[in-house]
Amino acid sequence: MLDLLSVWFISPFDYGFMRRAVVGGLALSLAAPPLGVFLVLRGMSLIGDAMAHAILPGVALGFLLAGFSLPMMSMGGVLFGLMVALLAGAVSKMGGQREDAAMASFFIISLAAGVMLISLGGSSVDLTHVLFGSILAVNSTALLLIAGISTLIVVTLAIIFRALVVECLDPLFLRGQSRRSGWVHSVFLALLVLNLTAGFQTLGTLMAVGLMMLPATSARFWSNRLEGLIGISIVLAMVASTGGLLLSFHLDIPSGPSIILLAGAGYLFSALFGRYHSLAAKLRRKTTPLTVEQVS
Amino acid sequence: MSQRSLSRLQLHNLHLAQARRTVLEHIEGDFQPGAITALIGANGSGKSTLIQAIMGELRPISGEVVCTVAKERRAWLPQQLALDLTFPMSVEELVMTGSWPSHGAFTGYCAAHYRKGRDIMARLGISHLAHRPLGELSGGQRQRALIGRTLMQEAELLLLDEPFANVDGETVDILISILRQMADEGATIIVVLHDMDHLRRLADEVLMLNGGHGRWVAPSALTHQHAPAQVVPFSLGGRHAGSA
Repeated sequence: MLDLLSVWFISPFDYGFMRRAVVGGLALSLAAPPLGVFLVLRGMSLIGDAMAHAILPGVALGFLLAGFSLPMMSMGGVLFGLMVALLAGAVSKMGGQREDAAMASFFIISLAAGVMLISLGGSSVDLTHVLFGSILAVNSTALLLIAGISTLIVVTLAIIFRALVVECLDPLFLRGQSRRSGWVHSVFLALLVLNLTAGFQTLGTLMAVGLMMLPATSARFWSNRLEGLIGISIVLAMVASTGGLLLSFHLDIPSGPSIILLAGAGYLFSALFGRYHSLAAKLRRKTTPLTVEQVS
Repeated sequence: MSQRSLSRLQLHNLHLAQARRTVLEHIEGDFQPGAITALIGANGSGKSTLIQAIMGELRPISGEVVCTVAKERRAWLPQQLALDLTFPMSVEELVMTGSWPSHGAFTGYCAAHYRKGRDIMARLGISHLAHRPLGELSGGQRQRALIGRTLMQEAELLLLDEPFANVDGETVDILISILRQMADEGATIIVVLHDMDHLRRLADEVLMLNGGHGRWVAPSALTHQHAPAQVVPFSLGGRHAGSA
């Protein structure tokens, strides 16, 4: 029994790349889910997906210029992601087109440009790596980058947390409070881009968004409070990224999809058996007794 | 000092447009501290446009809005439907966000703020709801919580858009007395109303928007000949006219 546990859970980490990948995954699991929670609460769940596509041309450009170098690819990704976010924001401000429409237009252009760039310079194997990730490629530089970005995201979120909450609930109130309230949204989008660039190494550009959204959407079935949502989604993300890596190691499948599929299984489970809004919650008939509300 | 220079908010020959279509012209106004002004008019008469201009969200074509109230002391309470009520936030947390102007958005709240928040919730009769999520509140309870935020904010200029829509009678009574208290303490209050009964109980002055122009009338001129409020023949044209 112990042997089996050791074979499944301990011995994979004898390999350096597995250790690095799991640390990277845990770091991402701290940073990504809170962003996802805010996206879900703002009804912008698909924006994450759009941004994931938007960073692709930058990653591809970095790849063309410097080969498989994470810092270059990340820098390209961040630059392109921010550019698309800015452009989408500018178009929606200028023309009255909603931000999601502008975002949708830019991300599909970016995706096409990115795939085009990669196929110009590399093979289909490279394309698969960029799109779906590869844990083997996580070296110490990559790990430092991932950990650094995750730290930056967590700290920044803590600083702007309250402003972000109010921006979700009542943007007009926030705008009334400060002349520069627009920056809250911009900073949030920048964090999103940073997070996706950090995630693409293990998960791939297309899958990085999964670690952000799936734990957040699953947590919605377990808690009605913001703190609860964030806490639960972080735990879910950590379980999914570690478990997914182990699965990928043992079954010899790509790491990105196995992490995300595990998180997806968590989502389906939550939707069926969660405490709130789930199928089981609908069927439940137990309630708390009526209490007399005393007016103080 | 003349009386005019004391006013919080002045509208000078205001010309406002939405999407290049003139909505309001030649609007003059003078809003004193302690005065509650009712803003009335049919749907589409420009009430929201005027409020946008006062809040600085819409630039006038000509004329000017002179407001001596700092931006963070202006409170704007939109119609309830404008808020996302599925957001997981408790009543207390909502009320506490009103402390930003004095406190900033980035520092934690201190005990004095929490005490003030609790006092405010007690005044509004929502102490027992402090930890209830917003999504589980009734319309009246939610409106009290939102007023609580403006109290916390110590708003000097308060604009309310149909605050009594979808609100029970008891809440209306409490809100009216709280608004009156705020005015007595010196706040300038502008409230969009559709209900003649509320107007009679609350308004000191009335600005009526009609056909792109504003007309200042005394509340008594609108209400004195119609004793029972429920059968007022004069329709203000709103969705909620006479319904509350």
